[in-house]
Amino acid sequence: MKKLNLSKDQIQKLAVSTIGFVILLYVYFSFFLGPLNASRNSMTASIKELQAKLGSSKNEMAKATNLENQAREATTRYAALTNLSPEGAPIAWFPPRMKIFFSNQQIDKTTARLDSNVPYKEADLSGWTRYNWMLDLPQTDFATLGIAVAELENTEPLLSIHHLNIHAQADNPQFQQVTLNVATAILKR
Amino acid sequence: MALHLNLLHEEFQEQRLRQRDPLKIGMMVLGGLGALMFLYYMWNAYQTLGIRNRLNAVQNDWSKVEPKVTSAQKRSAELNSIISTTKVLDGMIDGRFYWAPFLEKLSRCVAMNAQITSVDGTVLDDNRGVNVMIEGLAAGREPRAAAEELRQLLLEQLGQSYHDVKVEFKTLEDLDTLVRIGGANMAMARFSVSASFSQTATKPATPAGRAPKK
Repeated sequence: MKKLNLSKDQIQKLAVSTIGFVILLYVYFSFFLGPLNASRNSMTASIKELQAKLGSSKNEMAKATNLENQAREATTRYAALTNLSPEGAPIAWFPPRMKIFFSNQQIDKTTARLDSNVPYKEADLSGWTRYNWMLDLPQTDFATLGIAVAELENTEPLLSIHHLNIHAQADNPQFQQVTLNVATAILKR
Repeated sequence: MALHLNLLHEEFQEQRLRQRDPLKIGMMVLGGLGALMFLYYMWNAYQTLGIRNRLNAVQNDWSKVEPKVTSAQKRSAELNSIISTTKVLDGMIDGRFYWAPFLEKLSRCVAMNAQITSVDGTVLDDNRGVNVMIEGLAAGREPRAAAEELRQLLLEQLGQSYHDVKVEFKTLEDLDTLVRIGGANMAMARFSVSASFSQTATKPATPAGRAPKK
């Protein structure tokens, strides 16, 4: 093999050319091709992300439409249940409502007193409050009371009687004095 | 063999040296590489431009769809909340104890010679168990038997609709006073009956350490 005989000047020029080549490569990859590729990669990633979002959004909207159809019954029922809680403080409307209800059932002089109100433990009922009331029915007969209680349990689905006390009146045993402890679920307004 | 004399060897050598100048060759190589790199860069830039256009189109599509998706997601969350709340409320409604059927059964158990003076009933916290204390008077030739008849009838009536029914006397005592029923004087007894039952059947406990029969 023929040996290259390079002069000092030539070696210097060769070194300068090599340095120039390295600088060219560095500048090219660091300031031109590198940022271009980086932006291209980020744009490709954004496109993929957006396309995935677009794909899932179609599913999401289809699901929402299906859910809307499936939940029609639940929403109607929920609306009916929320309509049982009128606007305003329950202490303002519940006692008159009970008074009217029992007077329609031929039981007069009903009084309703608020015992307590507590939030529900269930997370799904965070918008609702449990109100405990005491209903005093000073004079009624057993049959009328039975009919009234049946009507109350049927027309007030969110009301439950958790304690009932019936006492015959000492002077008039055919009439009874009744105390009902009831709990109602009332929507927070 | 002819003899060749190179009288211009110095000029030739200079020319050869000029041609072999490493800087010149290096510059030419660098220029060539630079041109190739520039072309490659332009090709990449063109592709990137295409990708940017695609990104713009997709972003445009997404900006059109996004409000609809957001509202659909909100509505879905709202509907799910409504469904779960309605389910819990329905569970509460179905799980409550209805007193009217109980009062009806109680009224069926009271014969002509018995009178109930007090009923005190409580639904336990879990809405399953119910305790009722019934006080009253029974009259007859054998007033205790009349009271026992009421207890048994109550046990039978409650057993038709409820589970784990227990009806027990708490007190049963004869009274000195007489009452007139159908023109005849009858003795009286005061009774106090405790009734307890549950709305739903409790699962029988399996004894520990015993394998089920195959």
